[in-house]
Amino acid sequence: MKSDISTIKSTDISMQRSVFWQPRPAWIAMGLAAILVLFPMTQNDYWIVQLTQLMVYGIFAMSLSLVWGYGGILCFGHAVYFGMGAYIYTLIVKGMIPGFSGILATSIAGLLTAVLCVSLFAVVVGYFLFYGRLKGPYLGIVTLAIAVIAERIAVDWYYIGGYNGLFSIPPFSVAGYEFITPIALFYFVLASSAIAYLLLTHIVQSPFGAILRAIRDNEARAESFGYNSAQHKIITFAIGAAVAALSGALFAIVTEFVSPTLIGFGLSTEVLIWVALGGKEVILASFLGALLVRTLETYLSELMAYYWILFLGVFFVAAVILFPKGIFGRWLSD
Amino acid sequence: MTIILKTERLTKKFGGLTAVDHVNMTLSKGELRCIIGPNGCGKSTLFNLITGTYKPTSGRIAFKSKDITGKPVHIIGRMGIGRKFQVPGIFNQLTVYDNIRVPFFRDQRRSLFLKPRKDSDIHQKITALLQKINLDDKACLPAIHLAHGEKQWLEIGMVLARRPQLMLLDEPTAGMTAAETRKTAQLIRNISREEKMTILVIEHDIGFVREIASRITVLYKGAVFKEGSYETIQSDEAVRKIYLGKSR
Ligand SMILES: Nc1ncnc2c1ncn2[C@@H]1O[C@H](COP(=O)(O)OP(=O)(O)O)[C@@H](O)[C@H]1O
Ligand SMILES: [Mg+2]
Repeated sequence: MKSDISTIKSTDISMQRSVFWQPRPAWIAMGLAAILVLFPMTQNDYWIVQLTQLMVYGIFAMSLSLVWGYGGILCFGHAVYFGMGAYIYTLIVKGMIPGFSGILATSIAGLLTAVLCVSLFAVVVGYFLFYGRLKGPYLGIVTLAIAVIAERIAVDWYYIGGYNGLFSIPPFSVAGYEFITPIALFYFVLASSAIAYLLLTHIVQSPFGAILRAIRDNEARAESFGYNSAQHKIITFAIGAAVAALSGALFAIVTEFVSPTLIGFGLSTEVLIWVALGGKEVILASFLGALLVRTLETYLSELMAYYWILFLGVFFVAAVILFPKGIFGRWLSD
Repeated sequence: MTIILKTERLTKKFGGLTAVDHVNMTLSKGELRCIIGPNGCGKSTLFNLITGTYKPTSGRIAFKSKDITGKPVHIIGRMGIGRKFQVPGIFNQLTVYDNIRVPFFRDQRRSLFLKPRKDSDIHQKITALLQKINLDDKACLPAIHLAHGEKQWLEIGMVLARRPQLMLLDEPTAGMTAAETRKTAQLIRNISREEKMTILVIEHDIGFVREIASRITVLYKGAVFKEGSYETIQSDEAVRKIYLGKSR
């Protein structure tokens, strides 16, 4: 039997607000997009560069929102994907990987290869984590160990720059056009943010997203319906890793520099904080969380030298207690 | 009558404790059966063995004449065994509507990354189910805000959505008022009659068991102690002694 939307009543509201939901956040996202599009016209290069970097972190935060907020996978090593994305991109465009030359060493090829390799890596890691039924603190410890190991490898591996990292990454170029000016880079990263946001939002609103939240809420129940939770988590892990790798590669593009700190435990915990503060169960809130915390860090470190980290700690604790769903999560979810 | 479920010398040990002890049980298609027994006698463990949550120490389980011993949970779920947990197994953060909706996604032919067609008849099915379990006016509410009894009904609805051939209900009236308990008994009887579903219910509440008036299996210390109609069980001295006498 076919039903026309206009003839459906009462319970249909739930249908539109649940899986078909057209969220109010869509309005906020559009408003935010408009502000971001106009931003370069009102500000000087310094702030344009700043915001470009913030958006890179914002994409990274959105990828963790999918994995942690929707998938319920508390991952303490998410920066491994970010760092791998940055390194793989850099090694390719600098022509440092034997066999990758000519068209395979272009910026686009570098970006695609980085995203692809990292998500394959996440599938392998996820296979062992989730078919091994690791959960909660155990999952946290294993992912943390992976981050520590990855950072050690990056520090000790001379070929990829070791402790100092890699410099002078050539500019991102497509068909002869080079993204060099702050404005060009800004819009490039803004477009990437929009794509990542739309992709992730689509995923969490699809049936797959509903099943994912169901697994997060009650894994045994979801499995008794015939859903393979390990498989769903691996797919989620891979998508999260792909988006994290994209943000890592963007970081390399924007800063023209990669170092072992991008891949380790430090950045992994930082992104957890951004996402927890912003609101892990809302993609856009996580994006804003990254922007807010990074901005605060910059301001506070200028304002009060060494004490800023203390202040940030207090702010973090207060925010988590006052807003368990995140500072933005409350008004961005329906 | 065709046999839908058969356990043979099914046994589960936790260390030195034998929670389920050589249980032989046969369920016919369309039957409504109650399992009773004092706390800790292995009722939930028996369910966990049937659904694949626990692997048996020894013995076999056959469902629709297929050996399902030791198969993973999601495979057994797909084969047609639905289960209601003792602690309400619902998705707290999802709306009541979405709780019922999640099991339906298994029927979706399109990729799960695409939104379902708006003209699909799934919506009608969900609405009908919500009416059956008396929650149609709470469809938009996150499930966590439901009253305890309503959560139990929601879970029964979720299990029904999969249209299982065998439905296992673990203490569906736990924590309910007398009125809610009676309503639940009616609901289960209706489902049994209208859907021709085989139902296996664990219950503590003897009033509920009387209301359902079905065949009863008494479990004691992990083993089958007695089997029969409500009247036989109710008048059995030994059963009274181990169970009825000290029921709540
Ligand atoms: N996972 C487990 N590990 C160890 N012992 C268990 C486990 N699950 C149940 N038991 C024990 O098995 C016995 C039967 O438990 P259960 O099946 O839950 O009883 P019932 O549902 O009949 O009240 C109890 O003594 C319980 O403590
Ligand atoms: Mg029990």
